[in-house]
Order: sequence, then structure tokens, then C-alpha cells
Amino acid sequence: MVTHEEIRAIANLAKLQVPDEELDGLTEDMNEIIAFADTIASVQVEDEAYEDVNGLSNVLREDVVQPGLSAEEVLQNARDRDENSFVVKKHA
Amino acid sequence: MSRYELVAGLETHVELATKTKIFCGCSTEFGGEPNTHCCPVCIGLPGTLPVLNRKVVEYAVRAGLVTHCEIAGVSKMDRKNYVYPDLPKAYQISQYDMPLCKNGYIDLSNGRRIRILRIHIEEDAGKLVHSRGNTYVDYNRGGVPLIEIVTEPDFRSPEEAREYLERLQFLMRYIGVSDCRMEEGSMRCDVNISVRPAGSEALGTRAEIKNMNSLSFITKAIAYEYDRQCDLLDSGEEVVQETRRYIESDGTTEGMRGKEDAQDYRYFPEPDLVTIRISKEDVEKIRASLPEDPDARAKRWQESFGISEADSAQLLRYRRVADYFDEAAKGLKNAKAAASCILGQMFRRMETEADKEKFETRVSAENLHALLQLLDEGKVRMNLVKSTLEKMLDSGKPASDFLSAQDLEGVSPEELDRLCTQAVEQNPKAVADYLAGKEKAVKSLVGFVMKSTRGRADAQKAEALLIDKIKAQA
Ligand SMILES: [Zn+2]
Repeated sequence: MVTHEEIRAIANLAKLQVPDEELDGLTEDMNEIIAFADTIASVQVEDEAYEDVNGLSNVLREDVVQPGLSAEEVLQNARDRDENSFVVKKHA
Repeated sequence: MSRYELVAGLETHVELATKTKIFCGCSTEFGGEPNTHCCPVCIGLPGTLPVLNRKVVEYAVRAGLVTHCEIAGVSKMDRKNYVYPDLPKAYQISQYDMPLCKNGYIDLSNGRRIRILRIHIEEDAGKLVHSRGNTYVDYNRGGVPLIEIVTEPDFRSPEEAREYLERLQFLMRYIGVSDCRMEEGSMRCDVNISVRPAGSEALGTRAEIKNMNSLSFITKAIAYEYDRQCDLLDSGEEVVQETRRYIESDGTTEGMRGKEDAQDYRYFPEPDLVTIRISKEDVEKIRASLPEDPDARAKRWQESFGISEADSAQLLRYRRVADYFDEAAKGLKNAKAAASCILGQMFRRMETEADKEKFETRVSAENLHALLQLLDEGKVRMNLVKSTLEKMLDSGKPASDFLSAQDLEGVSPEELDRLCTQAVEQNPKAVADYLAGKEKAVKSLVGFVMKSTRGRADAQKAEALLIDKIKAQA
């Protein structure tokens, strides 16, 4: 069973702030998700070989340069920039 | 003999020399204004889909083959999750449990074998520059293809780590998958280090030193970390499992606080990419495209051309040079002359390692071969070869443009005799100097003969003849 501590740790890794009053609900949700995954994992399969998702493999592209975005386009949603760089402010 | 044995392993990141990034068509060119080699895929815009670069798979397989790895028939990509400004998607696409290559090795000169656990492909992160309390982010490097080569903890000394890295660097350049320029960050290393009582089989607690890009830093960091851990154990303390940073200014390492709880990467299969399947035939095709095994090649040069071990190592160091040499020397009796032209006159015109690596020269291997063919046939002497080669290097024209029929006739014994007599008659001061004990004075007489024959004469023969004539005169 997942604990409140684990929920806090997972939220922390994802840089999410979880108010204490939401911990019970999230813990319950997470336990259901894990139970669902356990159910799938418990299915016995005859062939252990790795299966391609959607029956696809080796979808590859050639090593040829394609035009990309201009720096202006890349930076158009930047909250803060300095010339052509994104700027990330140090936060406490 | 120390009471403790060093146990170290290396994780080496090598940037692949593809033209485009691993999952999009953006250029991988180094440098350039920040954020000018980017597209919606590599800056992680929503709704985009990555597509794997075929060349990345091929290069990784080449790297695997040259390090004696098994190539996985089935392989897949995974997501490694962490939140940091260098990753626009907040995850890195890497490989977790099904790497492309595994179970290889590199042998060291002391006979020890360094086992390679795995080689996997992944995308590089963006470049962060920390300055004035801010972080400046450039995603040009984000999405550049990397291979990560992970060894078993088989290193027992800093020198072994250095030799392994030099060998790895050489091999990757030789097969053309990376330029491995550590100063540009296209080869970087993480080292994990522990110590244990000599003779013990158990592994001690290890510390990891991250992201070093200089061979000398890596060896110094290992040496420092070994001493630090030995001192800790000697004073009854324990080594803490942690990530440490190498401090270049004083050659020490320090712990990086706060990195520990970030170690949970929550890997899961990358849902946006499909399985990679490599058939045995594909592997054999790639194997067949690899250049001749470098050790076998050096041995061949030494045995059939009489090239020294040092010279063959120099010729092998740069793949283009090795290929050029083989082409120029093919079929020559005096293949050593080709080696000396390349390593002497031609290398002298190339200042940097990068120049030698590119090996851009105006003399084609075919033209060098033709010139040396004349040497083989006794039509020209080495000094004429050298002066002609200089003209060829300046102009890009073939030897035939500079050598007259007269040049190719050589100097008959009669003519040499006549010229030596003339040299002695016309240079009484040099003769007197020689007779007074200044043996070097004869060189100016040799110079006279060589000048008169425009370099066609055999300098050694001329010198012997001149000495005879001087002595006969005295
Ligand atoms: Zn891109």
C-alpha cells in the first residue's frame, strides 16, 4: 500500500505541491492505479518474447537536415530571455 | 603495497557524429548562436512526435562491434524522468532494460580486460550556463545523439582508466562514429569509485564523480578519491554513497548536496517510439562496413612494410591518414618513404590535432604514389622527392609537372666524379677546414654537388667520394 510519504515524494519529484487535505484522495487513487497495473502484470502469457506495440518496429528517418524554427520562434513563449537564451531565475 | 584496492567503473558519454539529432532533423553542428538548431520536437512542444535517426542505430552498432559487444536483436527506448531546465520535456529519452549492445570488452596493455556491461543510445540535454545568479538555456545540444558506454567496476588504477579512455577515443574516431573531442564535450565521463581491503572480493560503498571532460581531470579525480576513501576507512569512518563533483582548481572532490533524492528516475517504456529490431544480416552488413581491425592493420604495416611500431601508431591515429597511407603505399617497395612523407612534410603543414584528423592536403594519394614510384625505380633520390613534394603540396600539381627528363635520368658515376672534383677545386677553404679537423666542412662540399645536380645526386655517395678526393689531395 502506498503511504502519504510516498505520495509526497512522487509529487516532489514532479515539482508538484500537494496540500495535506488532498493526500488521502491521491493515496487512494494511486493504490487503485497500482492494483490495476498488478492485474495486468499477473496475466499469464505463453510467449515471453518482446511484443511490438501496434505491431510496429523500426520506424526510422534518414539522417538529413531539415529546416527548424528561428530563434525568435523558439523563444516566443519564453517568460524571460536574454538575447537568444532562455533565462531561468534562481528561486528560493 | 597499499592495504586498500581501488575499484572503479566508468560511464562514458560519446556524442555521435550524425548530421542530425536523434529524433528530429535539426543540425548537430557544434557552436552556433543559442537556440538556432531547434524545432518543435527537440524543444518538447506538445503534440510533437520523435522519429529515430537510422544513422544513430547504425553508429551505435558499429561502436558495439568494435568493442566486442553482443548486438541486441530487440531493443527499445525508455523515458528517464527528471525536472531540470536542460530538459525541455522534463524527461530524457534513453534506454533502460533493453540496450542496443551488451557484454563487450576492451583489453589493456597490461593484459587486463575491462568488461563493457552495455552501450545504449539516448538524447543529450541542453546546455546551461550559470551566471549572475541566473541560468541561461541553449537547446542546440538538446537531442544530439549520445551513446553511453558503461563498464563493470574493473579499473584498479587511474592509469588503467586513462588507457581505456584513450583506447575508446581512438576506436570511436577510427570507425568514424564520433570525433570524441573532450574539450568540446563530445566525450564526457562519470566515474564510480570505491575501495576495499586488498584481497577482498566484496565491493565497498561507492561515490560517483559526475561529468568530467578531461583525461587528466579524470585520472586526478580517481587518485584523489581513492586517497580520500582510504583515509576515511583508516580513521574508522565510513564512505557515504553520494554524487561528488571534481574541483578543477585544487584537484579535490566535494559532495553535491541535494542530488540524492533526485535519483529516482521512474523509467518507463517510451510510448512515442516503436521497437528497434536488428536482424543478424543487418549486423553482418554493418560489420562488413567496418574498417580493417586497427591492431591487424598496424601489424600488417610493420610486417610487410617494415614500418616502426611508433610510426604505425601515428599513422593509425587518424582514420583518414591511415586510409591515405594505405592508398599511397600500395605496391611500393619503399612504403616507409610514404610514411615518412606523411609524418614529416605533410604533418608539418598541419598545426592542430583537428587538422590532422581532417587531413586536407593538395596532394592526392595517387600523386604521392606516383612520386614514390620514381624513388622505387631509382630514378630520383629521397632529397629530390622531398623538394618535389614541397612543390606538390604548394600547388596541388603532380610530380611530373616539376621533374624534367634530365631530373629523372639521375647522375652517372662519371658526372658525379667530375662534380666532386670541381667541388674540391673551387672550395679551397672548406677543404682546408676539413683537413684541419672540422669534419663538418665536407657538408658544404656535398651541398655544392647537390646544388649542381638540383638534388639528383646521392648525397651519401657524394660525401664518400669527396672525402676520398680531399685525402688524395692532401
Ligand atoms: Zn529539432
